[in-house]
Amino acid sequence: MSYLVSKVLYRLHHRPEDLAAFTADRIAYLERYPLSEELRRAFQDDDVAALYRSGTNPYLLRAHCIGVGIPEKVSLAALRSAARAHG
Amino acid sequence: MAKVAGVFAASHTPVMLNFADAIPARERDAVFVAFKDLGRRITACAPDVLVVVSDDHLHNFFLDNFPAVCIGAAESYPTPVEHWLKAEHRTLPGHAGFAAHLLNEALNGEFDPSFSMELTLDHGILTPLELAGVARGTPIVPLLINCVQPPMPSMRRCLQWGRLLYAAIASFAGADRIAVLATGGLSHDLATPRMGLLNDAFDVEFIRLLGERDDDAVASYASAHVHEAGNGAEEVRTWLVARGAAQGGPLEVIFHKGIADWYTGICIAQWNEVLS
Repeated sequence: MSYLVSKVLYRLHHRPEDLAAFTADRIAYLERYPLSEELRRAFQDDDVAALYRSGTNPYLLRAHCIGVGIPEKVSLAALRSAARAHG
Repeated sequence: MAKVAGVFAASHTPVMLNFADAIPARERDAVFVAFKDLGRRITACAPDVLVVVSDDHLHNFFLDNFPAVCIGAAESYPTPVEHWLKAEHRTLPGHAGFAAHLLNEALNGEFDPSFSMELTLDHGILTPLELAGVARGTPIVPLLINCVQPPMPSMRRCLQWGRLLYAAIASFAGADRIAVLATGGLSHDLATPRMGLLNDAFDVEFIRLLGERDDDAVASYASAHVHEAGNGAEEVRTWLVARGAAQGGPLEVIFHKGIADWYTGICIAQWNEVLS
């Protein structure tokens, strides 16, 4: 599943039409991929901790956070919460 | 035949361009002044070609086909590839002649790089060139090392790549002066719970060993301890390529400071003497 998450992240930030479709209607865009419900929600809700836990490549996740405008403080807090959740 | 005109290394992070104000103005200005100094030094060595050793941060390459090492062999390089990077769009001139020579020397020397005649370069190459004020003019040859997705080339192999690069420069008849700029590192973690934590001890010891004569010591240290310095520290491979190109000469540290709010150990350095 981490490969698929990586693939979605890669496409979003290298195909302008994909990012436009995602921005316009996240739910419809994500239907293109056989994502689990949890990961679909993670993309919909900018759940950085869940995307991190998926095991995706960190550079793709980092680019996504900047690319969709998730505030730095929000993404940092989410990443740190992922550590706490897993001890 | 060409000579190695200068060998340099500098950290890079898109934060320098996108969120430069995340640190106090005085600290930021000190970094930017150091990059300008780097630019003056690169300009002063008057290179005909600048080999930029960096990594592709999953822009030109994806996990469906990811080269361990790729030589850029294009006539020019549009940049930046990141739609979100706060940088001027520009096209950097390439030097396909030296790229082709390096590629041939590598394959004849039993190295196995890939090559690309079409790359849109990312912040790894653009940021240091931009901040140094040398993002135009000198034709570049990108040498991209996988530092972003395990498994990666070994630290020792990166030193060997540097020595190969030195030999390829010394046997190139198509230019007089070729400089090398490595970019990446030092300690940093990105998109992990440790993001913002640095490892100054790793950075200091790695920098010290880079300027020592003992190849084995720096490669062994990097291999054994890079895991303690964050996933982004894997980019020290590019510094090892530069060290190899300098043939283990002494290192001058132009600037070094761990900047936690930029998430990165920032260092700029020059090998002042290229041993033969």
